[in-house]
Amino acid sequence: MQFSKNNSYRDYFIERFGIGKEIEKYDFYEFAQSVWAYSGEYYEDKKIEVMGIRALRIKKVYKPTTAFLRIIGRYATKNVISLSSNDGMKFLKGENIDGVCGNNRGYVVVKSGSDVLGCGLCAGKLVSQIPKKYRIEETWL
Amino acid sequence: MNIEDYRDMIPDFEKFVARMNEPQPYWLRVNTLKITEDELIPRLEDKGFVLERFAGMNAYQIENMPVKHPGATVEHSLGYYYVQDFSSMLPALLLSPSPGDFVLDMAAAPGSKTTLMAELMKNTGTIVANDISDNRIKALAANIERLGVSNAVIVKGDATSRRFGAKFDKILLDAPCTGEGTYRKNQKERMPNLSDHIRMSKIQKKMLKNAERHLKEGGILVYSTCTFNPLENEEVVQYGVEELGLKIEKVELDIPHDKGVKSWREWSFEKVSDRMIRIYPHLVDTGGMVIAVLKK
Ligand SMILES: C[S@@+](CC[C@H](N)C(=O)[O-])C[C@H]1O[C@@H](n2cnc3c(N)ncnc32)[C@H](O)[C@@H]1O
Repeated sequence: MQFSKNNSYRDYFIERFGIGKEIEKYDFYEFAQSVWAYSGEYYEDKKIEVMGIRALRIKKVYKPTTAFLRIIGRYATKNVISLSSNDGMKFLKGENIDGVCGNNRGYVVVKSGSDVLGCGLCAGKLVSQIPKKYRIEETWL
Repeated sequence: MNIEDYRDMIPDFEKFVARMNEPQPYWLRVNTLKITEDELIPRLEDKGFVLERFAGMNAYQIENMPVKHPGATVEHSLGYYYVQDFSSMLPALLLSPSPGDFVLDMAAAPGSKTTLMAELMKNTGTIVANDISDNRIKALAANIERLGVSNAVIVKGDATSRRFGAKFDKILLDAPCTGEGTYRKNQKERMPNLSDHIRMSKIQKKMLKNAERHLKEGGILVYSTCTFNPLENEEVVQYGVEELGLKIEKVELDIPHDKGVKSWREWSFEKVSDRMIRIYPHLVDTGGMVIAVLKK
């Protein structure tokens, strides 16, 4: 199986998050139930392990990754939730946050100040989608 | 080798030995793909980091920190900085890839130099990052993702023989080596012996040969290791010049360093020693690194 280019995934980021021309610098590639965002030149090789950054996981609905939102999320104009720094720390520890989603539903870009923290899911409360590898620990600053 | 074997080779040898026995300080660089130095440094200082900027460069020695490990911060997790010894930044800085370049990083994991090159290239052009080890490729992928590097392709293969299917403007061969320059950091006990160096040197020559094959005419290749033994450095580079027809470039470097070694035991490296760069721990309080810039 190979990475195959499909730039129709750009539309997801334009429609869901209102991201503008900044999305155009990435080409999107499908591979193994995921979509990868790549800003390099085309390179052909039979055994590519990783191409750019995983941007979406293809499930019943598309799920944006925290890693890609941390790059592109600053350009989002809708479906963005801003947290206080206290709530931001909780969110980064993997905790859910009540009372911030309002009418939002589905996956959102979560910010705190100028930091894009990653992907959240609004389902009544804000459910942290921060993967384990990016969760911060109690003793961290 | 016993470190004494290098007495005649390393200037200020006593200082060198003393430094090798001291713990190595941490260094960091700001990931300018995500944040500026002006934004990040005050944030870290507010948290209690004491940072000493080196020579106006994006390279900060950590003199004091409020956490046990320099990566135990929100900013690190967000990919705003990378903990990297200053000596390890130099091969990438000397290769100096520009935006749009087509670059091969032949032994890339865990990606300290790949991620720095992506910064210099502003996430444009292409970096093909290769390594042979699955585990280390995982670490490479994790660093690339955390830092937001989007212009890299990771491939797996043996750098001594793998065909990359293209020719590159710039190649970094940061070769596997016996790692004497990292002993300060890791406080290892056993120093490699002569047969370790000879075995490594053969592998490194094969890699250099394969690198040359993938370099465009006029392209630049940086060869580096983090070990001191000249068989893994000057000897390999001299092979590149004599057997592969590469030219060794003269490099102006404003950072304390030494030239290459002219001879060691029965080996002589006169053809390349003047243009090689040796970074020793007692010069800027770093690990060790030996570097050559070659042109096809
Ligand atoms: C000095 S480390 C590279 C450090 C890396 N350039 C960085 O800056 O983070 C050498 C690397 O070479 C890899 N390696 C060893 N033998 C190899 C081979 N035959 N082909 C490709 N990579 C190899 C090791 O797995 C290791 O990751």
